[in-house]
Amino acid sequence: MINEEKVILMTKLASYESHEGKKDMLVLNYFRSDYIGFQVLKSVIAATIAFFALFAVYLFYNFEELMQDIYKMDLLEFGKSVVILYLCFVGGYGVISYILYATRYAKARKNLKSYHSNLRKIAGMYDNK
Amino acid sequence: MTINNEEDYMTTLLVAKQYIKNFISKYEVYLKPLMKLIVALAAMMMINSRIGYMRRLDDISIVLIIALMCSFMPMNFIIFVAALFTVLHLYALSLECAVIVLVLFLVLFLLYFRFSPKDTLVVLLTPMCFIFKIPYAIPLAMGLLGTPASAVSVGCGITVHYLISYIADNAASFSGTEMEDMVARFRLIIDGFINNKDMFLTIVAFAATIIVVYLIRRMSVNYAWTIAVIAGALTDVIVLLVGDLMFDTNVPIGGVVIGSIFSVLIAMVVQFFAFNVDYSRTEKVQFEDDEYYYYVKAIPKITVAAPSRTVKKINTSRKRSAGGQSRK
Repeated sequence: MINEEKVILMTKLASYESHEGKKDMLVLNYFRSDYIGFQVLKSVIAATIAFFALFAVYLFYNFEELMQDIYKMDLLEFGKSVVILYLCFVGGYGVISYILYATRYAKARKNLKSYHSNLRKIAGMYDNK
Repeated sequence: MTINNEEDYMTTLLVAKQYIKNFISKYEVYLKPLMKLIVALAAMMMINSRIGYMRRLDDISIVLIIALMCSFMPMNFIIFVAALFTVLHLYALSLECAVIVLVLFLVLFLLYFRFSPKDTLVVLLTPMCFIFKIPYAIPLAMGLLGTPASAVSVGCGITVHYLISYIADNAASFSGTEMEDMVARFRLIIDGFINNKDMFLTIVAFAATIIVVYLIRRMSVNYAWTIAVIAGALTDVIVLLVGDLMFDTNVPIGGVVIGSIFSVLIAMVVQFFAFNVDYSRTEKVQFEDDEYYYYVKAIPKITVAAPSRTVKKINTSRKRSAGGQSRK
């Protein structure tokens, strides 16, 4: 006889496995610190590229003035302010992505926990038989 | 008598909704590619008609082939193709335009869409709705369907729209040979883009609308969704008009009001189909245990969004047409 309750449970699990489960397991392959660290690193790289793209636009926009003033201005001071701006930009973005990925990791862990408890339920059904 | 008519009207609507839902869940496999095809086709044709500077791309056969390709690819492929089309067309116009738009796309992609790949379509739909003159439908719909974070996606869409339409409107001055200096042209585009008060006002208004709609629709009052749509539309109009007075932008007031009314109607349609409904897909899963192989097709249960009393009416209305007045 087919156990209907079991089929329903197994269907749910199989559906989870083939959709969110896949992503969750990918996430949970890593330790929490590794996962978040890796994602934040990626964010920092993305933010760096974006910053340089915007900075290039800025430089090109002010091309003439910069060329005129290049001998007059304090290059060290200019470089310092650019670096500070860069650090603020990347730091802010990094913090945001840290929060985001920490939440994602927690959510994945919660989903997988209920998945495992359902698995145990199915295993219990076999034992009771 | 009028009450009866009204009830019959509601019943018909609910039956229609039920029918459409059945239809969607039954033919989902075919409808999804079809939808993608239509969106891709519309997007590319709009891009071609608005900024079709590259002759080779402005060709219906190429558009059709790429749209067909899009229908079998993931949704985000459409965004990629649309972005590519835009950049190529602008490259044909002038290098500076292409570079600026490319940088904008790059920044949006790197900073925001890494996080929320679900919302990317909005960046395409927002400019499309601007062309249809119903941009106000976007914040209403996103407030109903999304989260406050959608405000960022919509903001990105608005930015893309205003940049591209600024370039398209002033195309002559970017492509002409009278301005040889690249830097000057570059500055002209950036200046026009940054000093666009309309754009910032629209972003603020739409963000406010999304948040208002989202907050109200989550309240546990009757008709929360309808109230949310109307309050959202009012917020939108008020913010736009007040901003118009304060910053002296040239928001067309008549257009805003008429567009908002149309947008409310569209949002009502969205609400009708989206309220309390889970269009989650039919699942086909396979698994096995010691005794059997299971090939399970799990079909999502379809429930009518109205209270169960209304469900009874649907059933009785059929009986009634057959004869007896059997309403409770």
